[in-house]
Amino acid sequence: MPERTAGTVMIVDDEEMVLTALRTFLELETPWAVREFTSPHDALEALATERIDVVLADFMMPDMDGISFLKEVRGQKPHVSRILLTGYADVENAIRAINEAGLYHYLEKPWDNEHLRMVIRNGMERSSLVNELDARISALEQANGELLEVRSRLIRMFL
Amino acid sequence: MSPESPTDIGDAVNSAKLSTLGMLVAGVAHEVNTPLGALASNHDVIKRAMGKLQDILADEVVDETELAEVRRIVRALDGILKVNDLAVTRVLELVGSLRSFGRLDRSETDRLDLHEGIDNALVLLRHRMERRVRIEKDYAELPPVECFPQQLNQVFMNLLLNAIQAIEGEGTITVVTAPDDRGVRIEIHDTGRGIAPELMETIFEPGFTTKGNRVGMGLGLLISRQIVDRHGGRISVRSELGRGSTFMVTLPLELPIESDAGGTPSDPAP
Repeated sequence: MPERTAGTVMIVDDEEMVLTALRTFLELETPWAVREFTSPHDALEALATERIDVVLADFMMPDMDGISFLKEVRGQKPHVSRILLTGYADVENAIRAINEAGLYHYLEKPWDNEHLRMVIRNGMERSSLVNELDARISALEQANGELLEVRSRLIRMFL
Repeated sequence: MSPESPTDIGDAVNSAKLSTLGMLVAGVAHEVNTPLGALASNHDVIKRAMGKLQDILADEVVDETELAEVRRIVRALDGILKVNDLAVTRVLELVGSLRSFGRLDRSETDRLDLHEGIDNALVLLRHRMERRVRIEKDYAELPPVECFPQQLNQVFMNLLLNAIQAIEGEGTITVVTAPDDRGVRIEIHDTGRGIAPELMETIFEPGFTTKGNRVGMGLGLLISRQIVDRHGGRISVRSELGRGSTFMVTLPLELPIESDAGGTPSDPAP
């Protein structure tokens, strides 16, 4: 099944077994590159220098919980789509996550691979649309700047 | 809420038991969902991989590219099968602890290996400790103790849960067991915040809690003491503010004669 955008997914979970399961599925069944981390701190360091399109993070991690981590991701790279993976349905935390970390999606363990693929694909699209929009906005801003420049030159010529 | 009449205390003890049970169920659901999530995903991947392998092998001739793909799939399967071993072991251990903790399959009084009860409680509380609380065990050889296993397990659960909650950030819980002239001794030491000297008198009283005013809260130590009393044992505490607490339980090897099998903490004799 061809995907419209190939990109990179970052997965962060303190449990190796979850990382291995996610990575194996993504590598065998999708065109996306995978970067995996057991430590949210290491993940943030990598995020600063690498191109990441979608971040999928576990909620319960010993060093930093998934919501705080995704909040940091938003601060550092607002265009990256953020997905929280949680082990136990917890409405209170879901609401907190959506409000605080500006979540793109919320998934529960055990997850369904087909659903996961769809959520990541939509996240990829969202990231690339936001990137594109940003590029268009800065192009517009540049054009607008040039226009203002021309206008002031014209005004100076005729006054 | 301050329970006064025996009925009030009975109700309060029951709601405390339910609150522990609710916490346990939520915790175990969370703990099971991690290995289960990996297992479910891996099962799906194995089915997909099987389909791919069958497609490749359906051809008369397998070329180099296909062979490389077969090798890639087999490597991936090897990795997830190792994960499945771990995941299955984890689920079996959790379910085993839960069953043994509840003693669903045994009669009410039994001779219990206390270490088994403590270890089960530790497995069930693992999600509360994550990696911030380290457990150290100093177990001596102990004879089995005649007891109401379900009730003693409740005591271990209460004391360990308190120890975990007393630790802010990182810390250590040390469990020491030893034979005692009266029977056996269990010590649970934590490096947590400790108990203020002026509160030491009240910690075994109903309603003592540091966890906010909720139904079923503040009865853990009261219930623990009632249970230990019923077993003819003693429970005591040593604590230093800011450095930690040690709860000591001593138990005789045999139940006292007056301990009737029907007596549970949820229906105290009037």
